[in-house]
Amino acid sequence: MSPLLFEGNLLLSLLLFTMGILGVVWKRNAIAVFLSVELMLNAANLAIVSFAHAHGLMSGGILALFIMTVAAAEAGVGLAIFIALFRAKQNIHVDEVDLMRG
Amino acid sequence: MFDLFYYLIFALTVLGAGLVLFTRDTVKSAMALILVMVCLAVNFLMMQNEFVALIQIIIYAGAIMVVFLFVVMLLNLREREQAPWYLRDARFWGGALALAFFLLAAFGVKTFAAAQIAGGHPIVHEPSDVTSIATSLVTFWVLPFLLTSVILLVAVIGAVAMARRQDEDGNEITIDTE
Repeated sequence: MSPLLFEGNLLLSLLLFTMGILGVVWKRNAIAVFLSVELMLNAANLAIVSFAHAHGLMSGGILALFIMTVAAAEAGVGLAIFIALFRAKQNIHVDEVDLMRG
Repeated sequence: MFDLFYYLIFALTVLGAGLVLFTRDTVKSAMALILVMVCLAVNFLMMQNEFVALIQIIIYAGAIMVVFLFVVMLLNLREREQAPWYLRDARFWGGALALAFFLLAAFGVKTFAAAQIAGGHPIVHEPSDVTSIATSLVTFWVLPFLLTSVILLVAVIGAVAMARRQDEDGNEITIDTE
């Protein structure tokens, strides 16, 4: 395990995660927000696999598989919500969905 | 050679993430995300983790992104009006907080993570090829593995229940095929 790969991957994971946060905060289209969430999930996966690889463990790959399963379930349900939302409002701008705002 | 290739993949990943962030067209954004995922798969391969690289391509770039593109196509969104004024403030403070997070976490990575690897836990060398991961998945990890099928089933039922078309009384509208 070269130190370049480990520290570089942690930095890359951090960069991707921050860009995902920025996407979630800046984007107005709900699908674009969701794409940014996927970016953050990918960053988390990268960090997990690099840590596991640095320790010589294989369970990182198994954890990554579970994360991907949850991401797939989340994408299916989330996109179904967007379709229902689009039917009700004719757009999916995140700032216009404030029914449950406290 | 290895280092050069690593930096190339690193730059390509960041470029793809930047495109996801700064492209207004959702389809192009999704394509840029596919670029990021393929680059990450190459990165996983460089860590000798073929299993994760393969499922990254097959599940993420193959399955999940197709669902995204399908919904983008189905909704056919057009960005018409400018974002309202109150979003400007939210964007500024959100960006500032994200920057603060980045600096804090970069400090944490630089300070603790490297030290932990250098002198912390003993490093074992488990094989991470597809066969050993598959064996471990149906022996030690069998209960979580089976629970993922429950998650997927619930997600499928929930997605179908939410996205189906209803009239005002909540009755299902069936498509007339005649």
